[in-house]
Amino acid sequence: MSNHAKPLSIRDALYEQPGPRTRRRVAIGTAITAVLVIVGIGLIIRQFYITGQLAPRYWTFLAQPTTWRFLLQGFRGTISVALAAGVIALVLGAVLMLGRTSGIKPVAAVCRVVTDFFRGVPSLLLIYFFFLVVPQYGIRLSSFWMITLPVALAASGVLAEVLRAGVNAVPRGQVEAALSLGMRPGRIMMKIVLPQAIRFVIPSLISQLVVVVKDTTLAYVVSYPDLMQNARVLITNYDALVSMYFTVAVVYILVNFAINKLSALVAERLGVKIIR
Amino acid sequence: MEHVDETPVIELRHVDKHYGDLHVLRDINLKIARGEVLVVIGPSGSGKSTMCRTINRLETIDSGEVLIEGKPLPSEGRELAAMRAELGMVFQQFNLFAHKTILENVTMGPIEVLHMKREEAEARAMELLARVGVAEQANKLPAQLSGGQQQRVAIARSLAMNPKAMMFDEPTSALDPEMINEVLDVMVELARGGMTMVVVTHEMNFARRVSDRVVFMADGQIVEQGAPDEFFDHPKTKRAQDFLNSIKGH
Amino acid sequence: MGLSELLSTYGQDYLTALLTTWWMTTVTFAFVMVLSIAITVMRVSPLRPLRVVGDFYVQVFRNIPGVALLIIIVYALPNLRLVLDYTTCVIVTVILMGSAFGSENFMSGINTIGVGQIEAARSLGMTFGQIIWKIVIPQALRSAVLPMTNLLIAVMLSTSLGSQVPMSPDELTGIVSYINTRSTGGILAFLIAAIGYAGTAAVIAFIGNRLDKKVRILR
Repeated sequence: MSNHAKPLSIRDALYEQPGPRTRRRVAIGTAITAVLVIVGIGLIIRQFYITGQLAPRYWTFLAQPTTWRFLLQGFRGTISVALAAGVIALVLGAVLMLGRTSGIKPVAAVCRVVTDFFRGVPSLLLIYFFFLVVPQYGIRLSSFWMITLPVALAASGVLAEVLRAGVNAVPRGQVEAALSLGMRPGRIMMKIVLPQAIRFVIPSLISQLVVVVKDTTLAYVVSYPDLMQNARVLITNYDALVSMYFTVAVVYILVNFAINKLSALVAERLGVKIIR
Repeated sequence: MEHVDETPVIELRHVDKHYGDLHVLRDINLKIARGEVLVVIGPSGSGKSTMCRTINRLETIDSGEVLIEGKPLPSEGRELAAMRAELGMVFQQFNLFAHKTILENVTMGPIEVLHMKREEAEARAMELLARVGVAEQANKLPAQLSGGQQQRVAIARSLAMNPKAMMFDEPTSALDPEMINEVLDVMVELARGGMTMVVVTHEMNFARRVSDRVVFMADGQIVEQGAPDEFFDHPKTKRAQDFLNSIKGH
Repeated sequence: MGLSELLSTYGQDYLTALLTTWWMTTVTFAFVMVLSIAITVMRVSPLRPLRVVGDFYVQVFRNIPGVALLIIIVYALPNLRLVLDYTTCVIVTVILMGSAFGSENFMSGINTIGVGQIEAARSLGMTFGQIIWKIVIPQALRSAVLPMTNLLIAVMLSTSLGSQVPMSPDELTGIVSYINTRSTGGILAFLIAAIGYAGTAAVIAFIGNRLDKKVRILR
């Protein structure tokens, strides 16, 4: 099989090299569906047009530098929450994973329950916990922490599982070899297992950042000025709801798309799979 | 050749194929007579697998013709499927259907393609599985079998279609050494039974012992062909001599 | 508020909220499956325009934040003269996002099937339709069980977006917000809802794992 020009993806392997009849059918089908797609796009644009959403007054504010400066400010807020939450989640996730794989039964059980709890509860509920419940006990948090902590907790459960998958991917024989050298289990984890496990999961950790970024958009609940919240402010200023939300949505999509691409790229470089 | 007057089961006429700039098959002309066992050897990248795969159009060709019993190989659709049903193919990687049991792997073709009744197909499948020596594994899944067993099942799966000829694309190359013989034994048996076979392989002993004709390929061309003893003892071309020297001791 | 007081005052609301979350999850997931299949068919079709639209759909809806999509559907679509009630808006939002992930699950399910099996089926004389129905779909479905279990849980968690619009009745996150804005429900008010979610997720995961063990394909 050495002379296969390129490895086929299964998506292409489903189809054979077409014969003349198939080629004709595919050409006709392609033409028809292309027309349908173009008509569909046209209808959407038309809907925008006849409802007046393409009027310049809805879009000209995008040409003003102040708009983008304000959005950029919000984006900075998004980034700080995402990074802070990401770091906290990583630390907490590592602790949960270490606890669960510690071999100490009560610790493992508690870590398992905590992990499953944070994986099984919506971020919004955690946000309401920090926003509505925590203040009831006289604890005053800034809006930054009211969004960062719940996002971090929600992610920590997932990260604990990702890290555990990474640890499990390290060949068991290495642990046995280290044990036979007289290394203690804790040291083996730190010196041998974890460094390799982290290598396995780096792409997955990067792709989990998408989940964190998505969760940060809930910052408006606690009135923290992130990209989404600043967009809402702009909307009341410019009365340009559709165009503003579309713009912001596109920004988020592009950011997350970039993160996913980065993750895939790193995965390819390191030769590892992305665990979800 | 002995069967000159009969229509060859498989015939390749002036077959050419490129992968981009790479000319993988150059003007291949080959006739395989009924009951003939043809072994194709050559260095890796010589185009021997590709040639084997063009016979049932797993690889398309750029120009030339592939004829099965004198009729051109159809290029698509039910006609092509029907023609393929008459040719067996055994792959390097076995390619058993992972979600089906061994028995279901063997009955799949007869039931789906030949519309045979299930009981009939199963009875015949069990017969074939016994013949290749894996009848006890009938209800297991492919992943539970060794490579050698899987490859024997793959052979049984092809045989279940009552093929006019069988192609073997490096059938033992993915096997551990101790399993190679159990597969080769089945193939020897088939050859003795009169099956028309095209075998791409690195097993020189098999080639010498079982084949009627050896075809040596290099750089997409048929460089030399002849009866096994003649070819192995007195190769005429430099390329074939070099190749045979390079694999000696393996 | 103590547990008994909380439950006597809001017990019925919690129950309604839990049931609301459950039925929204069920309805949404059913549509997610149907749409996932449709999108996947488009993405593996030989017709380029369909592939492009399918890939584009997946990239958009797996990367858009749920609340951004919800806001667009709730507030922006009426400006384009498309008005849906709030519950429907939430369900549509989750369907759109869920189906993008669902299609990804199916695609990776298809990807676990080796090219070789397709070639083997072709060599037996099986037609394209037979290969799809007998070889590709059964294997893709089996290896999608576990990812789809996780997706079902994610769909349930995403219905919490309902708390961001005035829904009636409230779902499980909305009810916590509702209770805590009118009385001090404390940590218990939160925990009841959290256990509703985590408990449901645990049951779904348990069933999913059992099913997966039963149908998983050894390789």
